[in-house]
Amino acid sequence: MAGRTQTELATSVGVTRAAVSAWITGRARPRDETIRKIAEALGTDLGTVRNRTTDTLVGRPVAWYHRPAPLDGGREFGNPAAFAFEADVSALAREATQNSLDERIVDGGRPVRVRYTLDELTGETLARFRRAIRWEELVPHYEAAASQDQKVGQAISAGLRDMNTRDRLVLLRVDDYNAHGLTGDDYEDGRFAAVMRRQLDSHKSGRHAGGSYGLGKATLWAASRLGLVLVNSTLHEPHEGRTEGRLIGRLDLPWREVDGKAWAGPAWFGRPDPHVEGADVARSWWADEGIVEQLRLTREGDEPGTSFLIVGAHDVASLIDATSSEGDGVADDDSVHRMHGRLVQALERNFWAAMTSGAGRRPLLEASVRTLRNGAEVIAEERVDPRASQPSRTRALQAFLDGTTVERLTEKGAGQVVMTTVPLSVPGREERRSGGEHRAVLLVTEAEDDDGVLNTLTTMRGNRMTVRMKPVPNLPIGTDPFQAVLLAGHAAGDGAPFADEAETFLRASEPPEHDKWGQTDELRTRYSPSAYRRIGSLVQETHKAVRELVAAPKEKRRTSAERIRKRLAVGGKRAVRPATVAGLPTLDELHAHIGDGGAWCITAEVKIPAGGDSWPLVPVAKLAVRSGPKPVLAWSELAAVHNCEVVDGVLHFTGGARRATFSGVTDVTTHPVKSTLSSLVVELRTGKGDK
Amino acid sequence: MRAYPYPRLSGRVSLRVTAVELKAPGESREPLDVKAFSAVEQVVALGGTERDDWESARLKLSATVPSKATDPDGPWSDVSVVAVLAEGATNARTVVPLEPSTESGREWTGSMDVWRADHLDRASLNVHVVARTDGVAGRVIATSQKDWIVDLSARAPKRQRELDVVEVSFSKGPQWLQPFKGVPWIVDTSGDVAAVHVNTDFEGLTDLLSGAGSAAEGLVRDLMLAQMRTDVWTAVFHVAIGDLEIEEDGTPLFSHDWRGEVLREMLPDVMPGRPLEEALGEVHRRRAGASGWIDLQPRIHFAATQRAQMPKALSTAIRGLDRLHQGADA
Repeated sequence: MAGRTQTELATSVGVTRAAVSAWITGRARPRDETIRKIAEALGTDLGTVRNRTTDTLVGRPVAWYHRPAPLDGGREFGNPAAFAFEADVSALAREATQNSLDERIVDGGRPVRVRYTLDELTGETLARFRRAIRWEELVPHYEAAASQDQKVGQAISAGLRDMNTRDRLVLLRVDDYNAHGLTGDDYEDGRFAAVMRRQLDSHKSGRHAGGSYGLGKATLWAASRLGLVLVNSTLHEPHEGRTEGRLIGRLDLPWREVDGKAWAGPAWFGRPDPHVEGADVARSWWADEGIVEQLRLTREGDEPGTSFLIVGAHDVASLIDATSSEGDGVADDDSVHRMHGRLVQALERNFWAAMTSGAGRRPLLEASVRTLRNGAEVIAEERVDPRASQPSRTRALQAFLDGTTVERLTEKGAGQVVMTTVPLSVPGREERRSGGEHRAVLLVTEAEDDDGVLNTLTTMRGNRMTVRMKPVPNLPIGTDPFQAVLLAGHAAGDGAPFADEAETFLRASEPPEHDKWGQTDELRTRYSPSAYRRIGSLVQETHKAVRELVAAPKEKRRTSAERIRKRLAVGGKRAVRPATVAGLPTLDELHAHIGDGGAWCITAEVKIPAGGDSWPLVPVAKLAVRSGPKPVLAWSELAAVHNCEVVDGVLHFTGGARRATFSGVTDVTTHPVKSTLSSLVVELRTGKGDK
Repeated sequence: MRAYPYPRLSGRVSLRVTAVELKAPGESREPLDVKAFSAVEQVVALGGTERDDWESARLKLSATVPSKATDPDGPWSDVSVVAVLAEGATNARTVVPLEPSTESGREWTGSMDVWRADHLDRASLNVHVVARTDGVAGRVIATSQKDWIVDLSARAPKRQRELDVVEVSFSKGPQWLQPFKGVPWIVDTSGDVAAVHVNTDFEGLTDLLSGAGSAAEGLVRDLMLAQMRTDVWTAVFHVAIGDLEIEEDGTPLFSHDWRGEVLREMLPDVMPGRPLEEALGEVHRRRAGASGWIDLQPRIHFAATQRAQMPKALSTAIRGLDRLHQGADA
């Protein structure tokens, strides 16, 4: 009640004290216009009054609260975690989607739906948005940060310049639905604090989780040129008795001095917390629909999940590039289109498996991307369909989920998927039970034309995110194109032996980018310094198994004979050297038709290379036959047309000519069959030959 | 260059073998592993199976033809697509019609039975588009570019052919080898594929060939192998050039088996700077004619040593000897 008595409230709203008492005890409900008055009197919003179950935070407005610099003089010029990844939308799509996937609500078996929205703001819309986020309060901080000659400062100053000169700002919104949302207390352990307050806290709920470092969230801030991300979350389990519209913003700037005061870096956009003594600390607040809409954070429906709004999104692989204002500016018209395309690609490449499902079941993930300009659609919502870009791999996984795999491939073009298992011996954790032999599942199927790189092996574990995609080495020549998928850990199915152990082991072997399995600190400390070799042998075994399934068989032979056979092979791939003809003229074009008398009338063009004019050549006409010698036709007339002369049926070319033309008519009396019933072959022969 | 007295279909006609089933007498068909046929090499290898009593193989075929073929406004009518399996050695020729499998008329499918008794070695498989044009039925208006090879004996689907190597005792072996019992190896070119017979009676020869041995042994072995290969290439070239089919106007033709392949590979060295057909005609004229055959011998020898990589083997052996001497001095 914000420290007021019931009487004071009754006076300011204009009702009796008894009425107020009745509301409070729950015997009566105020009318709508009265509620508005109450909200005004209490300086709070409608939603709070309607849904209030606990004390609201009243009095002080939503604003930016910056963390003061520490007294020991330490200065941080940016968030190091942001540099763990390349600052581009592919990394963002990978990390953010992985986080959504990890926070999927498992009960009910519905997929988590992820939607990426690019929205380009200009003009009045941009001005409105800037008012909503209280941009004016931030300007001095930005200016102080941008004046620093550090990497982060450069990026910010480029972002500001871009926004001011071109009057444009790109927002990238990442929504997930059917996920847990940012639950938990503002400061205590929980999802909210892990994402909004802490660094390197991986608060993951499932054993299958993809993330393990707590670094991925940094890509959200890294993707923003202004270091600014706003969040609206609908909670899966109530916090303070409410679930919808929990808002907070976080700004990541380097250390800076504004108005003679030093600030540590991060700042939060929220309500000041009255319970924290002696400091300005902002906490999340429950916003009403109007505010949510002004901040462009409106969610569809009341399904739990989180929306992250990245303000000033950019897509450069390196922050240094951001200093050049040409070419990579977010304001480029096509840059939004390019970002859209890259988002779709990144989702397809990394999450095709999570979007694939067996018959009668739903996938773990559904994803879509759309692009707006000032809220109006530019590129319609595009549902990411892995079948279009990864046809073979999705087919392989689907066959595995449906149980329709075969033991060996017998038919081409029929989409058969062959399945086998590969051993991974999981080492024991230090001073714990020893591991065991896990059997990872290997799927191989024929590749389609639009599969990108052919003959690759894609590996993944329980979270179904692509960890590694590399070509299989040492394939013999002549192997038909294929795609292979290795499912390890929980991905190998619930019945796989030691799936838990394998999952934990492989998760420990992934670096922050989750793009390979190899030596990591965690692996060294939790298992043993040589544990990573087990992964090497898994990959080798897998390659061997793939080769056994697809590689053409070798001829069986004894060793001594094999040595002799080397270089005793004829034909085949060894392309016969193209005959480098030392200036021999060749027939280049042939026009032929059958004349009135049934004779072939031809006009032929000869191409003469340099120095080839000295060859006298004999044109010969034959009838094509299927096998055996071709019957030769005699010429009834042979005439030079251009650049040559005919002497006794031999062509002599004019010196220096490069093209020559001659014509001829065959002698009908030498035709063994009617000329309409056979095709004609014309050749040029050197020398006289024996006619 | 060819000319046809009727309009032809331009565009690509392609053929794929999608499955192979073998049938032994009295048993049901058994599908072959896809490793037995390669779409890259375009070869079906039927010799790699466990069983050698099969009597026929059923190939499932799928062909793609340009859509213009079935265009009703085109100059053709009664269009059909046929697969043709032919082998020069036996003059066997099997034709099966394919059925359209899609509405567009681009995809045609069917199956072809290959009877083992009809073929000797390697048969080639093609697709023809046949139609009625200018009132004449059954004209071929298009053909697939690269043919498939159905090899009855190969284990691996490769276009490349390896010459056969047989280790045999000349004294206890076949009758015809007995006169040669003191010789280390003999090249025999009478079969489907040229073969080298290595004499197991020749003391130490097989050990030398198969053993890993010391460095010195290795040098001797590689040199000997190069020599053997030179012999083989010389012999097969002479056989190939002496066994040509001649056209009416005296133009020799490349034969369709390994002999043709040998000539194609060696002629550029024998007759440098000439197109293959020219070179073949020239070599044939010199061999059959009055003069020039003697002058060609060094060229043939040169081509064989090139093909056998003799110079490389010899220089390796000489350098290896030097190293061995240095090692002995040290």
